[in-house]
Amino acid sequence: MKQQRAFQRNLLVSWSGVIVVLVLWQLANTLRLVNPSVFPGPLQILDTALNRFPAADVLDHARISVQRVLFGFLIGGGLGMVTGILAGWYRLFGKLIWGPIEILRPVPPLAWIPIALMWFGLGEQSKVFIISLGAFFPVVTNTYKGMISVDPMLFRAAQSIGLRGPRLLAKIAVPAALPDIAVGIRVGWSLSFGSLVAAEVLAANRGLGYMIMYGREVGEVEVIVYGILLIGLLNLITDYLIFNLLFRRQLRWYFG
Amino acid sequence: MGKAIAIEHVTKRFNDEDERALALKDVTLHIAANEFVSIVGRSGCGKTTLLNMIAGFLQPSSGQVLIGGEPAGSPGPDRGMVFQHAALFPWLTAIQNIEFGPRNQGVPRKQRRAQAQDLIELVRLGGFERKYPRELSGGMQQRVAIARALANDPDILLMDEPFGALDELTRSEMQLELLRIWEARKKTVIFVTHSIMEALYLSDRVVVFSPHPGRLRAEITVTLPRPRQRSSHEFMALYEEIHRAIF
Amino acid sequence: MPSSSDATPRRAWIRRLRRTRLTIPDWAYGLLTVLVLLWLWEYAVDHAWINAYRFPPPSKLARTFEALLERGFPRGVTTDTHFKATLWRILKGYSVAAVCAIPLGLFVGATPLLERAVAPIITFARSVATLSLLPLAVAWFGVGEFTRVFLIAYGCFWIILTSAINAVQGVSKQYVFAAQSLGASRRQIFMQVMLPGSLPRIFAGLRVALGMAFLVIIAVEMIGTIEGLGALIMEARNFYRTDVTMVGMIFIAIIGFVLARTLAWLERILLPWVTDLEEVQR
Ligand SMILES: Nc1ncnc2c1ncn2[C@@H]1O[C@H](COP(=O)(O)OP(=O)(O)O)[C@@H](O)[C@H]1O
Ligand SMILES: [Mg+2]
Repeated sequence: MKQQRAFQRNLLVSWSGVIVVLVLWQLANTLRLVNPSVFPGPLQILDTALNRFPAADVLDHARISVQRVLFGFLIGGGLGMVTGILAGWYRLFGKLIWGPIEILRPVPPLAWIPIALMWFGLGEQSKVFIISLGAFFPVVTNTYKGMISVDPMLFRAAQSIGLRGPRLLAKIAVPAALPDIAVGIRVGWSLSFGSLVAAEVLAANRGLGYMIMYGREVGEVEVIVYGILLIGLLNLITDYLIFNLLFRRQLRWYFG
Repeated sequence: MGKAIAIEHVTKRFNDEDERALALKDVTLHIAANEFVSIVGRSGCGKTTLLNMIAGFLQPSSGQVLIGGEPAGSPGPDRGMVFQHAALFPWLTAIQNIEFGPRNQGVPRKQRRAQAQDLIELVRLGGFERKYPRELSGGMQQRVAIARALANDPDILLMDEPFGALDELTRSEMQLELLRIWEARKKTVIFVTHSIMEALYLSDRVVVFSPHPGRLRAEITVTLPRPRQRSSHEFMALYEEIHRAIF
Repeated sequence: MPSSSDATPRRAWIRRLRRTRLTIPDWAYGLLTVLVLLWLWEYAVDHAWINAYRFPPPSKLARTFEALLERGFPRGVTTDTHFKATLWRILKGYSVAAVCAIPLGLFVGATPLLERAVAPIITFARSVATLSLLPLAVAWFGVGEFTRVFLIAYGCFWIILTSAINAVQGVSKQYVFAAQSLGASRRQIFMQVMLPGSLPRIFAGLRVALGMAFLVIIAVEMIGTIEGLGALIMEARNFYRTDVTMVGMIFIAIIGFVLARTLAWLERILLPWVTDLEEVQR
């Protein structure tokens, strides 16, 4: 009983900030303190969301966007993970390969757009390339860092009970580096997502980024805002899924 | 001058209904001004919890803690605490850590510097004043923590396994120093330790706690004159008595 | 070359070789790979295995590099104009974000009820992809400097804010206890314990935010300006000058590297007590 009331109070506090913001925003619109066609209010956006676009269309745009990010992320993140693990395990390979990686790392994924357009044209490949770059660098650096900072005592302990070679890699090194890899994946996902939006805003005929550009072309700010909110929501949900469901469960020993 | 401490029917529970999970159950203990009391007992019998309540970090679930006749209230400079893990501020050098208390009490710079320098000598850390905690060994950190607690010249000194991380030699040195300080500056000391020998060597009275729930099991008054001989017959007899009380 | 009959000097020679091998610094290996790759690239273009126009070879890039420093690109816009424009935008947006977010984050983090009330807003605002705001910011503020700086500041603000809030909340209770028992007041505890205790994590946030600033700057310089490194690489594309784009990317990497190093240097100066700078990133 007491606990339930405390829970309800917590819920109220948690949402109070959101409610205050929404109410103030709507009031500013209703009272015409701002121009509603430039700064649309929550109700206007809700109206757009409910009546302007059929749910099926929106879901389709969202699906396309998610597919793109996922595809690019899997390529970039997968390559990054494999490279990072190998670089950490075969130290000579790691030292050799780290030069080019360190040089390319400070170049943000978006700076590759002109090159990507040159190499792959305006199509899907360019987008996937940009997105995969977003995932590659955070994953590769964090994986490598995790691999080379595994406590040597762990290896000694494992060797003394007879683990060697690939089993040492699979059973000790990679699991011990997993928390760092997880950090890399999370950062990589957010960068992939950020790059997706840029790629879609630049050139696409489907996807949530395209929805925003459509809103801009027809000059309806509420469509732009709707698209932004959708992308934000999608980012929030996917990050939650990756971090809480995947990592929290698998890496409970680390994150507690 | 030290102050008397009265712990009256104190019970502490940490949000758990289970009787056995009580951190402390109905503990009553009276400590005279300037008395040196040691608390011994297994891990988890509520020693740290009791110190935290005397210091004012925690409030008892029931019962009360009186300091010099007044309710313990919130923490303050009259009760110096030496934590189990030194808890030095990592962003301050050794001497800055020691000066932390006096500085925030508004002691003028020159005076507190001189004081801190004396304390540095007292804990034998000359030459390490400007090192950060991470540059000091565990034992050195602990000595800085003791100096820091002494810097406010508190009436009561609460020490939570302060010498646990020290090597045997430093440990006996620090024991002698502590007794010297206690006799020179007159403080009430509550000293938590795992070592029965240490408790017997130092204190006027040894209090034994038992876990699940945390309770006061026995009190042994030690009247042997200081400095005590660890190998003396009386000493060993008391050792046996405490050992029996714990097991 | 020592002869094999002469055993002792030979062993000494091997020993010396071993010892020198051990002292080769890691970056030398990296440099070796880079040089080999550049040479391969040049070679492949020379033999027409890859297209010199889509993959301008290093020798060409070197000439372009020189030409850009001398004459700039497009005609009339010098390279230092590009550098200055990009650097200014980043510094403006980034410092505005830091100056607002750090005090606010410290305050929110130290006020639990307020923190709970605003947490959902912060989480969502942080999830909003900064670049998706570009069309909206253009609709609101037009295509100008303000929009560019605003977007950089927006991207950095939420990252720094979150790190400051987490930093305050992550300061060990032990330190607060210690300060209380040493008689420090609430104000003193905030200034002398919470503040220094949270700096390492705030710096970790500042580092991530710098990366964000770089992501955003490129996008915002791709529209409505010919000044800035983002504009340079996009403009080069319009003239089909892949070599200029690539040199522009090198410029961007240089700024990024220098700024990241400056921040790390600042951190070492300001937080001399932190052992392992990497530790904090977790
Ligand atoms: N903050 C806390 N929350 C919940 N339980 C606690 C807390 N602090 C201590 N306890 C519990 O109270 C008991 C006594 O702990 P403590 O005083 O630290 O023992 P000691 O110092 O004698 O080893 C233990 O069972 C411990 O698990
Ligand atoms: Mg304890």
